[in-house]
Amino acid sequence: MRKTLTALALALTAMGFAAPAMAEGKLTISSPQDPGNWDPIDTFLVNWSSVATNLFEGLTYRGPDMVLVPGLATAWDVAEDGKTIRFTLREGVKFHNGEPFNAAAVKFTFDRLLGEVGAAGPQRSNYMVIDSVEVIDDYTVDFHLNAADPVLLTKLAGYGAMIIPPQYYAEVGDEAFNNAPVGTGPFKMTSYEPRIGVKLEANPDYWGGAPRLSEIDYRFITEPATAVAELQAGNVDLVIPPTIPIGMIPTIEANNNLSIVSTPGPTVYALRFNTRDGITADERVRRALIMAVDRQTIVDAILGGQATTIASFQGPASFGFDGDLAEIPFDPAGAQALLAEAGVQPGASVQIDVRGNDATFNEVAQAVSAYLAGVGINATIQPYETNVLLNDIIPQGKTGAMFQQSWGGWTFDYDNTAYSMYHSGEKWNPYDVDPELDAMLEEQRPLTDTLRREELLQSIARYAADRALEMPLYNLNAIYAINNRVKGFVPAPDSRLKLNEVWVE
Amino acid sequence: MAGFLFKRLLQSAFVIVVVTLLVAFAVRLSGDPALMIASGATNITEADLARIREGLGLNQPFLTQYLQTLSGLFTWDFGRSFMGGTPVATLIKTALPATLALAFTAMAVSIALSIPLGIRAAVRRGKWEDQTIRVVSLIGLSFPNFWLATMMVLLFSITLHLLPPSGMNGPLSFVMPALTMGVILTATNVRLVRTSMLEVLNAQYITVARAKGLSENKVLYKHALRNCAIPLITYMGVQFGGLLGGIVVVERVFNWPGMGTLAFDAVASRDYPVLQSVIMVLSTMIVAVNLLVDIAYGLIDPRIRTE
Repeated sequence: MRKTLTALALALTAMGFAAPAMAEGKLTISSPQDPGNWDPIDTFLVNWSSVATNLFEGLTYRGPDMVLVPGLATAWDVAEDGKTIRFTLREGVKFHNGEPFNAAAVKFTFDRLLGEVGAAGPQRSNYMVIDSVEVIDDYTVDFHLNAADPVLLTKLAGYGAMIIPPQYYAEVGDEAFNNAPVGTGPFKMTSYEPRIGVKLEANPDYWGGAPRLSEIDYRFITEPATAVAELQAGNVDLVIPPTIPIGMIPTIEANNNLSIVSTPGPTVYALRFNTRDGITADERVRRALIMAVDRQTIVDAILGGQATTIASFQGPASFGFDGDLAEIPFDPAGAQALLAEAGVQPGASVQIDVRGNDATFNEVAQAVSAYLAGVGINATIQPYETNVLLNDIIPQGKTGAMFQQSWGGWTFDYDNTAYSMYHSGEKWNPYDVDPELDAMLEEQRPLTDTLRREELLQSIARYAADRALEMPLYNLNAIYAINNRVKGFVPAPDSRLKLNEVWVE
Repeated sequence: MAGFLFKRLLQSAFVIVVVTLLVAFAVRLSGDPALMIASGATNITEADLARIREGLGLNQPFLTQYLQTLSGLFTWDFGRSFMGGTPVATLIKTALPATLALAFTAMAVSIALSIPLGIRAAVRRGKWEDQTIRVVSLIGLSFPNFWLATMMVLLFSITLHLLPPSGMNGPLSFVMPALTMGVILTATNVRLVRTSMLEVLNAQYITVARAKGLSENKVLYKHALRNCAIPLITYMGVQFGGLLGGIVVVERVFNWPGMGTLAFDAVASRDYPVLQSVIMVLSTMIVAVNLLVDIAYGLIDPRIRTE
């Protein structure tokens, strides 16, 4: 009897040890938030995309290198006036349920997005430039636009423009589709537990070749410390942004099994000025305040080097970025001279408004305040609840002399930032009215000539920098923490991780 | 008893209405959910925002919206989450059992520890055992629960690899969250048991019981404990309310899929229906537990029934 028991125990132990081996090829990811809905047109959340990029595909695709390449369309041809785009579709592609991908699916997707169903969601406004989608033949569609839109092709690579299967959608209905989505991507969704997690398995029939992982298990973990603990315990292989706090990086790097992988992200940080009232209405004062602050030291000391300083309100990955635009250098003596010239007495005070829940930025603001004290300016920091700051204080023009603005857009196009920040009457521009700047912003919008548009965007950046409309601070990295057993991982700046080339050892 | 029950029920209903009304009012001061939903969209217009608000039912009068939420208590239809449109009832159906399981485990841990320890301290009053129990319980009381939780994770999960750091997955995952909450409850309860035991032990009937030659255990656990049960039960009723409130922090640290996590995420995303419903369900439960405590008095002590 005892022998049998021992044998049984041994067998059980062996099975216990065998289990992880069978689960080879499974990647576990900590994601900070459940988007609550997997329908591409019902969401705007980055955390939707970090999962759904593996389920759905658009006509175009933009990977971690930010280069736009064919997705479900193999080619596209933009008409002279920019108002018609003809797409040639990829043949032989099937949705996860076996339904064929074709022109009808494309038309169905956009009719739904632009119609009644899409009207209730947040994504439609991104695609309003599309007037109609016309089926030419099974594998050709024409997009008719009501105006040329140079950013549209990029938009088609994400979110609301993901192609969905018409038959499946008709069979199961809108609500079931939210919880059990079907796309053409390299992975299929096998289970979804709201607020707990979602599981994917490899789609062996993927047109781009079967993925190397057999399973992906996403767990929704909000608390950064908990996500890091799971990573340290070996239960999670990858923690995606924006979870990892700068302060935890050394702890993770000290562990031989773990690494930090980062890449410049979409979000840029600046302290913007009240250009209408007070001492910051004077361009010389604004310039002096910028000169007074050593941004590189802030990046090195507070952000652990996980950011790069910027000369305009955009990072290097943004379309319209100008590598030749020089930052205003750190020069306290020059700042003091400029302040004196502008008639600002030492001891003058400014208020810096920040988001109260952004601990890292609060430290940055304190450093800025210390630098300003160095040139005789007393800065007080006023923290606000984020929503109050964003929806009341800034739009109503009730800020102090300076206020925090962090901004990022998944299209990585400077137009999105510049237009919202500088055009007269925009929500994020409560103070400045500048007809010349307005004209430049309007002129670049409909241009399909990319070179010309890039030139104009660069001149807008230069113009804003010359007028010292904000104190550009830094472009923060997208920071991933990863277990070293994960191979082939390339960090995506925008968290849109397509994991078909990744494997685990 | 019927009149007493009716009065207490009316009081309870009033409390629930006041609490939920305050919450419904307060969350609406905290920001516009339409802006949260639209914050990722490029070039969103005022018309888009208005459409989103209409879709969420935010254009209806406050009272209508509130009554809809309140009716959820009876119809078990709390509307839909603003984030993704999952029915709130579905979310609560998985979150509530998770929270209750954790709360009851923590209570059980605390009762199992505090009664014998409290009695021991009372019996050995002033001796080293009493001193030790008092000092240890004071230390337990002084720990902030998030700190205790983090330390346990560090020791049991990261260093020793014995327990899972987060999630609700099997009995092992209960150990740390239940201990975290249980330790703090125990610290208070030990002192409570000790004090009421000391009072009871001086009573004449204990001396009589001892004089009759009853075993010490019978004296302590049958005669004495029964008489200090009233303050204990009252306090545990109140404690249960605090427990449900305190669970938010512990759930978040351990990523426990309960009501606390749900409420926390709902605050962050201005998800009114979820937040209001969670608070409504929790406050109803707290009120109900207090009601049960009142009824339990009557059962334990016949003198209260006849009052």
